[in-house]
Amino acid sequence: MLFPTVEFAVFFPVVLTVSWALMSRPSLWKPFIVAASYAFYASADWKYCLLLAGVTAGNQAAAKLIHRTVSERRRRWIVAAAVALDLGVLGVFKYYGFFVESLQEALDDLGLGMPLPLLTIALPVGISFFTFQAISYVVDVKRREIEPSSSLDFAVYLSFFPHLVAGPIVRAREFLPQLAEPRDPTRVAVGSGLALIGLGLVKKVVIGDALARSVVDPVFAVPESYSAPDVLLAAYAYTAQIYCDFSGYTDMAIGLALLLGYVFPQNFRSPYRATGFRDFWRRWHMTLSRFLRDFLYIPLGGSRGGRLLTYRNLMITMVLGGLWHGAAWTFVLWGAFHGLGLVAEHALGGRLRVPGWLRWLTIFHLIVFGWILFRSESLDVAGSFLAQLAEPGPATLWSAPVVLAIVVVIGLQLLPPARVEAAQVRIERLRPAVLATGFAVLVAIAGATVSSEGVAPFIYFRF
Amino acid sequence: MSGAPDDSLMSRFDKHGLRRFRARDAIGAVALAALLLVLFEGPSIRRTGERMDPGIERDVVLAIGRPAGWLGDRLPLADAADSATAWLSPDDDLPEDAGFTTTAQAVGSRLPPVTAEAFDPTAIGARAAPKLRLRTLLVTGDSMSTPLDTHLGRLLADEGVRVIREPHLGTGISKSFVIDWGELSTRQLRDDRPDAVVVFIGANEGYPMAGADGREVECCGADWAAIYANRVRKMANTYRRGGEARVYWVTLPTPRDADRQPIARVVNAAIEVAAQPWRAHVRVIDTVPTFTPNGYRDAMTIDGTETIVRNPDGKHLNDAGAELLAGIVLEAIERDFTF
Repeated sequence: MLFPTVEFAVFFPVVLTVSWALMSRPSLWKPFIVAASYAFYASADWKYCLLLAGVTAGNQAAAKLIHRTVSERRRRWIVAAAVALDLGVLGVFKYYGFFVESLQEALDDLGLGMPLPLLTIALPVGISFFTFQAISYVVDVKRREIEPSSSLDFAVYLSFFPHLVAGPIVRAREFLPQLAEPRDPTRVAVGSGLALIGLGLVKKVVIGDALARSVVDPVFAVPESYSAPDVLLAAYAYTAQIYCDFSGYTDMAIGLALLLGYVFPQNFRSPYRATGFRDFWRRWHMTLSRFLRDFLYIPLGGSRGGRLLTYRNLMITMVLGGLWHGAAWTFVLWGAFHGLGLVAEHALGGRLRVPGWLRWLTIFHLIVFGWILFRSESLDVAGSFLAQLAEPGPATLWSAPVVLAIVVVIGLQLLPPARVEAAQVRIERLRPAVLATGFAVLVAIAGATVSSEGVAPFIYFRF
Repeated sequence: MSGAPDDSLMSRFDKHGLRRFRARDAIGAVALAALLLVLFEGPSIRRTGERMDPGIERDVVLAIGRPAGWLGDRLPLADAADSATAWLSPDDDLPEDAGFTTTAQAVGSRLPPVTAEAFDPTAIGARAAPKLRLRTLLVTGDSMSTPLDTHLGRLLADEGVRVIREPHLGTGISKSFVIDWGELSTRQLRDDRPDAVVVFIGANEGYPMAGADGREVECCGADWAAIYANRVRKMANTYRRGGEARVYWVTLPTPRDADRQPIARVVNAAIEVAAQPWRAHVRVIDTVPTFTPNGYRDAMTIDGTETIVRNPDGKHLNDAGAELLAGIVLEAIERDFTF
């Protein structure tokens, strides 16, 4: 069940109403919200619910055991086992085919070809997100940053439907304290919630999907059929599309949670304003950046071991971060490219003096280049795409609406943040009835732009 | 990355005093938005429900969509909203008179003559027709046609052939309440005038269809097969442009799901029958001997290596399978065309 569908539009008002009716009685509210979240998840495939329940039970048992164990060494072993379990689940469902096929190809190249067990395994929606949240929970318990919650609270945390399938990656220490007390029914950010859902809908359905349909999908499918102007347009269009798609989803997730009384961390902050790779990762998918920083980069040693070790740690973090996005060499290369960017930035250490606008322009185009690797189905396609950038020819896909959409999506991020925030706050403070009417208009407009084949799935659903 | 501040910004809504409303404002606002949408978009909600696959979600959406649609039909609001937003629709205008429902499907009373077009010359040892020049290739169908379309596009990218990829995901020939492929094929012919058309469709078939007498026929008996074959025949006739173009209709590899196997079987049988009057122009590319000769399988040997060729859903071909199929389709195209 996608957020921008009629099914969800029927599901959510019912859940919202019952949720607030039961809010003052946590013993009823918590089982209800878990049931609603599992029903939401089962609409993709009920069998995935068993996996979610298994991950919940396994990590909760580990957290309780860690909490009861005094020996630091034993606590480390338990957390290692729990993390191995989570990564094992992720490995089997997400990476098995990729590793087996890559290994088989490598063995074939060496003349050692041997049959390896091939399996077709369906990727459960949201697995990358809920396994990471489970890891954050057991590690935070091990670090004594939080105490283990009740099993029911942990089940709510892991399955809460607004963030279940594509994030944001909410840390246990951010969410569990909100479950300790019922949400205050007199302090709800209704304006922000409605505005974010409406904004997310427009970003995803009206802009993102339209760019995908008209430019991105045709060009990335067969780049050889297009010449430089169209290929260049597709690169910019995808830059705008992936932002609209993912940040649109996040806006909706945060807005839905707000209407239910819960706050999620911010996930995007004008990422195309970035003037460096480090700056970019503080603005793009911020909850993943934090996760990688706190659970991978710092445990690897961070920047504590000297220059070379820092570079190694940055590369490992970014390559694995790339691989998290999908089981393909294009994602590995994309992660490595960003890792190299971070290393270069670290090595230069601000010694390179360039005007701000030039710095922005350079970083922006390096990020656009990264998206070409990210979007391409294979390294061959990425190679063809880049080769076509040097192929002169007609501009067949350029149109005023497409160019305008790209300029608006990227241009709005370059406006002074204080001014944008002030405008946003003014809207979010409007009366709910006014916002509801505006919201209905936005839904009608977004609905009109959906083709008869329905809303395209979110890009991050397959991660 | 080290030393980065905590960017969660959990207090951002408190900072501006935005948590200033009550829970009942939230419920009221959502209810008001829902009411407005029912009044202005009622028929759209009903239409969405009617297009969904059978199941509890469809039942729930229709439980709201039907009364909402009824209300919308009686008030001028939905029409006004429709006219105001119609220009935003990405859907093509389809020629309504070319649809399956408006095309006579009844078989005439006189005995239809067998013509020379019913024979593929090479199959009877006659001289093959001269090869045509391939300028435009349309690859179309439902989700089955992806990523076959991209592989064909890449194979022909350097050959000066314009490859038009037009997958319509979630559609089906028996699912004309979503898209009527009779209308769609006519529109495709009108817009693109392809020299050759590759059709790979059938992931979503099995829906009841109206027979010539108007009554609904359930899948998957001979009556259903006959209606399906008539629809395929109508499309194939459109695509072949009176013999000027060639059609390559790809049959379904056996799916894993036992419930879907009878549907695939009847669809494939209907395709074979539908192509009979124009074997000279309509080639049936049978995928069963290649991919599922002895029933469903995930993997097969390609160039000496055991390779997975199906998607985890057990229905579609994966990238490797589609690449293999693209080669087979291209071989068939090369028998008819130069490029």
